[in-house]
Amino acid sequence: MRKIQVDALVVGGGIAGMQTSLDLADQGYQVALVEKEPSIGGKMIALSKVFPTLDCCSCITTPKMSAVAHHPKIQLLTYHEIQAIERNGSGFKADVLKKARFVIEEDCTGCRQCEYACPISLPNPFDLDYGATKAVRVPFSTAVPQYAVLDIENCILCGKCAKACPVDCIDFTQQSETLTIQADSIVLATGFETTSRLDKKEYGAADNPNVINAMFMERLLAPTGPYGRVIRPGDGKEPDSIAYIQCAGSRDATLGVEYCSRVCCMYAIKQAMLIAGSLPLADITIYYMDIRTFGKGYEQFYQNAKAMGIQFVKGKVASIKQDESQNPVLRVELIDEGSRVEEITHDLAVLSVGMLPHYDPEAVFKVSLGDDGFVNIPHTNAYPCLTEQAGIFVAGTSAGPMDIVDSIVMSGSAAAEAAAYIEGIKGSPSPKEKSEDVYA
Amino acid sequence: MSDREAAKKQAQLLKELRNEHEETVARTQSLLKEQGKTERDILKTIKEGSKTVPTIASELDLPTDRVLWFLTALKKYDQVQEDGMDGEYVLYKRREE
Amino acid sequence: MPKKENEEIKIGVYTCYCGGNISDVVDCEGVAEQLAKFPNVVVSRTNMAMCSDVGQSMIEEDIKEKGINRVVIGACAPSLHEQTFRGTVTRAGLNPYLYYHVGLREQDSWVHKCDCDGASVKAVRLMATGLAKAQLLDPLAPIELSAEKHALVIGGGIAGLKSALDIARRGLRVTLIEKSPFLGGRVAQLDTLFPSGENARETVHELIDKVVSHPNIVVYTQAQVKNVSGYVGDYQVGISQDSRGVDDTNAEELMAACQQNVPDDFNYGLTERKVIYRAYPGCFPHTPAVDWENYDGKPLTVNGQEITLENKTVSIPLHVGAIVVATGFNPYQPRRGEFGYGELPEVVTLAALIRHISLLNEGEELTWNGRPVRDIAMVHCVGSREIEGVHEPQPDGQVNNYCSRVCCTATLHMINSLKERFPHLNIYDLYEDIRTYGRGHEEYYHEALENMVRFLRFHGDDRPTVETAAAGDTHPVLVEMRDHLTCGEEVEIPVDLVVLAVAIMPRDIDDLVRMLKISRGNDRFLAEVHPKLRPVETAVPGIILAGTAQGPMTVQESCAAASAAAAKVSALLSSGQVELEPFVAQVDLEKCTGTGDCVTVCEYEDAIAVKEIEYEGEMVLKAAVTPANCTGCGNCVSACPNQAIQVQGWTIPQYDAMLDAIALDFNELMEVAE
Repeated sequence: MRKIQVDALVVGGGIAGMQTSLDLADQGYQVALVEKEPSIGGKMIALSKVFPTLDCCSCITTPKMSAVAHHPKIQLLTYHEIQAIERNGSGFKADVLKKARFVIEEDCTGCRQCEYACPISLPNPFDLDYGATKAVRVPFSTAVPQYAVLDIENCILCGKCAKACPVDCIDFTQQSETLTIQADSIVLATGFETTSRLDKKEYGAADNPNVINAMFMERLLAPTGPYGRVIRPGDGKEPDSIAYIQCAGSRDATLGVEYCSRVCCMYAIKQAMLIAGSLPLADITIYYMDIRTFGKGYEQFYQNAKAMGIQFVKGKVASIKQDESQNPVLRVELIDEGSRVEEITHDLAVLSVGMLPHYDPEAVFKVSLGDDGFVNIPHTNAYPCLTEQAGIFVAGTSAGPMDIVDSIVMSGSAAAEAAAYIEGIKGSPSPKEKSEDVYA
Repeated sequence: MSDREAAKKQAQLLKELRNEHEETVARTQSLLKEQGKTERDILKTIKEGSKTVPTIASELDLPTDRVLWFLTALKKYDQVQEDGMDGEYVLYKRREE
Repeated sequence: MPKKENEEIKIGVYTCYCGGNISDVVDCEGVAEQLAKFPNVVVSRTNMAMCSDVGQSMIEEDIKEKGINRVVIGACAPSLHEQTFRGTVTRAGLNPYLYYHVGLREQDSWVHKCDCDGASVKAVRLMATGLAKAQLLDPLAPIELSAEKHALVIGGGIAGLKSALDIARRGLRVTLIEKSPFLGGRVAQLDTLFPSGENARETVHELIDKVVSHPNIVVYTQAQVKNVSGYVGDYQVGISQDSRGVDDTNAEELMAACQQNVPDDFNYGLTERKVIYRAYPGCFPHTPAVDWENYDGKPLTVNGQEITLENKTVSIPLHVGAIVVATGFNPYQPRRGEFGYGELPEVVTLAALIRHISLLNEGEELTWNGRPVRDIAMVHCVGSREIEGVHEPQPDGQVNNYCSRVCCTATLHMINSLKERFPHLNIYDLYEDIRTYGRGHEEYYHEALENMVRFLRFHGDDRPTVETAAAGDTHPVLVEMRDHLTCGEEVEIPVDLVVLAVAIMPRDIDDLVRMLKISRGNDRFLAEVHPKLRPVETAVPGIILAGTAQGPMTVQESCAAASAAAAKVSALLSSGQVELEPFVAQVDLEKCTGTGDCVTVCEYEDAIAVKEIEYEGEMVLKAAVTPANCTGCGNCVSACPNQAIQVQGWTIPQYDAMLDAIALDFNELMEVAE
């Protein structure tokens, strides 16, 4: 069985996992980055543009992905999953499953002929199932690595892909493999998932495709989106009037998510500004409880959005029904207008969904969770990356909702803590004579 | 081995695997049949002229969101392309070679 | 490094769509087609995102398989991806300086959104300049220098302490300097920290203990940076340290003898202290210090002897590889009359209130100026979220348009602590938006609601006013505002105390900013290179930011940023080597006649000098460049009467070629080589 020995094992290949890996590798440490999906990139690669700079997401994520793939000190293990961890000497031993792609990776050139040849169209998870993909596919256009992967559960085994492949790299007999990774330290960067648009029954999303999840609006606005333009998924109409419902998956005891998801005010405002660029005649209204634009440059971003004509209306949307054309009809108390209750029709309703932890590390890593379901950080102020397990650190949204900037900072922090921990195990270089002088 | 022999071996292998994965293959095959019909119907109706999602949906008596999904799939794999707008709706036509 | 003789130049030119940022305006395909016709262009391609792995692989393959030996990429600004593409080209085996980056986004598509045709023509022309330069590119090697495995951390607050500790634990040496006589910064002024409720002093002292006992760290208090020179890996920093003025043998006696009192800044002027003082009980260092700024110079009488305290400043020269700036923040000081501050004695800042409460004894009643307090109004956003044209600007003419991030949670934390300790209090919270965004923060809002706090909401452009109540009224102060939670009603709130949740402001570190040559953002805080991609680095290599010097942050966020800064320092210094860009002046010895005009105009110390060297058998005067000190500014290039100096990678012939590309007809350009 294959054995890999590294200084740090990073679990998760989203922005936090990638940045932590780079920060550790740049310091000279050997890193193994394990990602369970066939490509790294996490949620960030699926977004449109980032706030508040409005850089194109692809443009700032792909170089990180590329740097990770090419860094001499990082071993990138995609489509691998950690099955078990145990302490082993001063470090950890991880049992890892390498899942079968049914593609011989060394030969695959990412040409996608297999994908075009495949007869089955499936909902595309990268487009939140709104777009289509095939049973065998390269996960998305900027995937790293650019290898195809076959979803055997949705395959009729017709063999068309194998015939189409110019380098004959489809292997239906491929088996999954196991390997072990021995690492001095572990960094959990398993990321988040959003709350579902179906969670709040009052919002009627189950019956109305024009009540969408904000993550899908990201896909609509992204250059690699499913439709290539902003149209509503119910019937393909270009929306004239778009509503954002803030806190549609956060700060809501009825949903069991009482915390603030931190990023939704900013992403809603960002998306509104991008829509205003893409559909200049559209009316955009953001219905909110509190506008939380707290970060560097964020308040200015909010004020710019107001100046652009985006409407901000204080009022928590109570329910969403639909009219005969599946237009969402919002029922909301308008706090700033004498608190009167109104029913307002829009073409498209975007739910600003909240963040949930993507993965529960308790079973495998023996790391406990806080009441909110995210990883428990015992000394949250002075040691924001330390879990209760010595040698296991956390970065990014596994430790709670946060935006990209804070994830990148936290990744640096996790890298610093992991490095110090590794040095502690290896034994720091012998210190010089300590000077007694603290002050003259 | 020759190409012919290799092809035969592959066909045999696939047959065995299809037996092994009987359930998922059966499920997927019926999905494929249904999909195939819908795609063919859509391609046929837009051959008559560029059409919008609501028009196609009404002609084929299918939900509009489903029609949009199929058009998205067909567009991604180069069988359909846009042909301007009809008001607020996109017109779709068969992709020209 | 001269290029190979008779090397056939094969250019690969790549025009990026930039995810639409360029292609939405510029006709990238059309541009690529045009560029294919230029001399020596072997491939001309486009890509949706050239920086993606797909885009980069495409370039790598062209280099390996088609023998491309010059690369021109038209994309976003070089500041984003020049390094990325240097890496791409290097991996393919080509010298990274045989690639030239053309900015088609910030310099074209983003500024000509209304003129797609014009933008596309301009794109061809910009790329043409790149192609012209590519013909004249030389392979260059970065300048490798040894790096001092030693970092300087400026600031002894929680960010500085954490950064120093993490750098030291990594095995590097650290010198930490703190301007005041005591470590601990602003956290030592707090009582408990959210969201855990932990004791603030215990938290910061745990770090102080680790820092001062770590063998890799040396700490200097009462120390400041006086001068800085050098570059990443080799900074020379002059530190000036004031003396403590007293020592453990005489401190207590001198303190007792001292009669001079000044307002205690640590308690925001609520109390007084002597000019020989300790910041707080249990502070570190434990030895008291003399407040030299305020000491009147008069002798103190101890045991019949007259002792005049003397400040014997010492200079400490340091040789460091990197510098971490952790200089912290100041709470906003409202203007006189702002919400009644400074005019009504019952108006206090949240920062000062925290001190006031900390100084109360167990079981003591809450009073203010001797009067019992029962009704309190907390006002959010004082000095934050200001709107130009609506709010009075700060002394520098700008309003504070940013959010100070921590104050909503800090205010609610204070409210809940007050209600726990003084249950009879009646508290009004006047806010614009409640920003309890962080993990564990929303709970403070819930708890405040359960504590029967009355919330009132104002609009940012219509803030509450604070007035003295009429004589004989039940309360000394009236707060008036329009409350939008009750249909915009005008309300009048009689209170005993008004607490202003004041903004976070950067400290006055003009001197340091100038010495380090770092920059500030519009919000006056220190600026990072890229807020998304590189949130703790400045534009100056080797100078890293940590904590609130960069912007408002909670304690947790400051510690995370401080550790991230440590990781960057470690990445820079742990190999013991740094690389500098090769864009430095180079002297053509054949043309140089040693006039020294270059030395006259050079503004950088020891970058260029005229020296006597042996040249073609004779001892002659020639100019010599010290590459590590040269910034490549080009002053010498223009001053030299013999045109004997060029800046490597940016030579005059290259500029001439680029200017031709701009001025000449396209047809002429394309015909040139044929």
